[in-house]
Amino acid sequence: MTSMKALSRLFALPGGLSAAAGKALRQFFALLAVSLAGLGQRPGPALTIVVGVACAVGVLVAMLAMGSGARRQEMSNVHDDRVVVAELGQRPLFGSISRQDAAAVQDLPYIRRDKDGRPIVVMESMIPINGVRRGTGARIFIPLMGVTPNITAYRPEMRFTVGRMFRPGMHELVVSNICTRVFSGFEIGDRRQIRGMPWTIVGLFGEGENGQCTILGDVNAIMSVFSRDTYSGLEVMLRSPADFDAFRAAVKADPAVHLFAERQRKVVTDNSKPLNSVLDFASYFVGTIMAIGGTLGAINSLYAIVDSRRRELATLRAIGFRPGTIVAATLCESMLLALPGALIGAALAWIFFSGLSASPFGFTFQLEVTPDLVRIGVTWALLMGFIGGILPALRAARVPVTAALRAA
Amino acid sequence: MKYLPLVWSGIWRKPGRSILIFLQVAVAFTLFGVLQGLKTGVDHAIAAARADLLIVHSRLGFGVPLTLGMLEQIRSVPGVEEAIPVELSLGTYQKPTQQVGLVAIRPDKGWLSAFTYSISPAYVKAFLATRTGVLVREELAEKYGWKVGDRIPLRTGLPQRNGSSVWTFDVVGTFTDSDIGGGNSNVLINYDYLNEGRASGKDIVNHFNVKIADPKAAAAMSDAIDARFANSPNETRSESIREMAQESLQSIGDLEFLIRAVVTAVLAALLFATATMMMQSVRERTAEIAVLKTVGFTNHAVFALTLAESAIVCVAAGGAGLAVATLAFPYASKFIHGLSMPWIIVSVGLASALAVALVSAALPAALAARLQVATALAGR
Repeated sequence: MTSMKALSRLFALPGGLSAAAGKALRQFFALLAVSLAGLGQRPGPALTIVVGVACAVGVLVAMLAMGSGARRQEMSNVHDDRVVVAELGQRPLFGSISRQDAAAVQDLPYIRRDKDGRPIVVMESMIPINGVRRGTGARIFIPLMGVTPNITAYRPEMRFTVGRMFRPGMHELVVSNICTRVFSGFEIGDRRQIRGMPWTIVGLFGEGENGQCTILGDVNAIMSVFSRDTYSGLEVMLRSPADFDAFRAAVKADPAVHLFAERQRKVVTDNSKPLNSVLDFASYFVGTIMAIGGTLGAINSLYAIVDSRRRELATLRAIGFRPGTIVAATLCESMLLALPGALIGAALAWIFFSGLSASPFGFTFQLEVTPDLVRIGVTWALLMGFIGGILPALRAARVPVTAALRAA
Repeated sequence: MKYLPLVWSGIWRKPGRSILIFLQVAVAFTLFGVLQGLKTGVDHAIAAARADLLIVHSRLGFGVPLTLGMLEQIRSVPGVEEAIPVELSLGTYQKPTQQVGLVAIRPDKGWLSAFTYSISPAYVKAFLATRTGVLVREELAEKYGWKVGDRIPLRTGLPQRNGSSVWTFDVVGTFTDSDIGGGNSNVLINYDYLNEGRASGKDIVNHFNVKIADPKAAAAMSDAIDARFANSPNETRSESIREMAQESLQSIGDLEFLIRAVVTAVLAALLFATATMMMQSVRERTAEIAVLKTVGFTNHAVFALTLAESAIVCVAAGGAGLAVATLAFPYASKFIHGLSMPWIIVSVGLASALAVALVSAALPAALAARLQVATALAGR
């Protein structure tokens, strides 16, 4: 209580103007301190608020952790100096780009050069192949990307853990470690039948945080096997991210090519929009319903708490405490009760779900509880405490003095 | 039964509190219903999908064409009962936004068993007899007001030999589709009419529908068919309708652990809230309970009355919540059609509501039953 007094004295400092405000503040802190101290005697309702808020926040944070995990994974290998070049009017990677067009892109300025002085332009051709999931045995389509060998310059995050890069023109594949983990038949040395011919897996690599299975082979070998003569997409590494606008204009200005350039960031964001919006919608849908339930519980518990204090409240009113102060103190108490709930909920979400891997809608990623999510959880909890506190606070302020004292 | 008014007045002793508890329980069971309903509904939908119906399409993807010549090879695989060629095309009706899926079928003998459609026999007969005939999905016929006898022009991506890419069909009937993956705006047409009328791409098919004798052999049959075409220019991939349903709905199954966590959290919070409220309620009524006992209510009766009060509120609220969930379900599951609220979830939900009520009221009810009349009234 001494610290409370000190605090209220501190607030009362600036002269006579704030004497009234200082008095209200003193009343407010005194009331709050008494209220909180009294909670220990009957922990039921207070605990109900804490548990209700903890469950609501825990669920919200755990569900949002899916979205943040997915976003982190999607964006993990995105860099501003990387550009996707696609056919006009087609989705990136689903176009058909002739060899002449690809050669024309290679001659454009602003492109970074590899150590041999050649422009870093990766030509790609995508073929869906069969993957058999470990455990369930389910067969799903996974993309086999035919790429030019300069992919290692374009994606420096590729680090070979076993074996080596494929050799140009050979029927060889390299796969990311995720593939070996998720699908069977992707161990080093395994042979996969593609168009009736065996393709040997010669290397396994890691790609930072990317959780998708990446399978790479030589683009020319793949295109000749599938008798294709157009690429499905190009990726370009710029000298610097600042060159993007100039490069984009250069692609547009070339009348010979029907292509457009887009930042890798934009393409990845667009591709992941459907997944992200489904995850966000589900999180906030479930989170809102839980919060409504939690708020209803908080209202009920606060009513119970206020009712058990009728005599004290009436006494305070009798000795000159203002209704406004009582409202403010009750609201504050409600929010203070919600706060530990939020922290417990966020902690539970972190303990049980952070780092857990989920694979909804064919994507695999790890749930991630970030400080941002904890902040969202705390905001929701304070909101629940505030909204839940309004009606009980009004009742507390309206306790009829004489009736309450007589009933006691 | 004669104690019902007593329980009833107990519930309305503090109307605000009872209404809040009611709402809280109802909200919780709305969430329970939607989440569990989604999970169980998906399981049911997968189990109901036919395992004896295989779709044989190109290994390279769904849009890559196969040839009609493969039909005899598929039919010669032991265990295959029917194999029907199917070609797909996208058409539009009047406006570019009004898309219609054209499913061209060669209605060979026994073709209906290789599809998930239900068509009345009269319509089937008319379809077989009319080369330009079209069977329209009921939803679509309703949407555009098409009736039997109407002639409908559809603009497609397939030019006819006369250069026009508008095809005219005679509506001969309607059909329904039990497949959850089946498009809502599909129409069935005769493959031969399409194949002979189109300017290019003769004898190309999109996939084959294959009915097999033994649904349990679906995986082995898929492999047997795919083996026939291995190393050929038209490598195939066969999958049963059930396998496809599983694949497309797996996403929700993968979220099972999260659904379970949410439902656990909901029920835990609820249990706690109702328990505290019942405790509060019993404590406030010390004097009343003592009076009840004085006038002859046994400890057991008091125990039962307290439980009944909690049970009535919770089960009624649970029922209300599940009703809301059932009504809201078609919206929540909009992206998967044919999903309906499984009744088992409603029963499980009501049972859970009762369980929450009984568990949370057990301690307060025991306190009420053990109350000593003298002590309780002494304070007055």
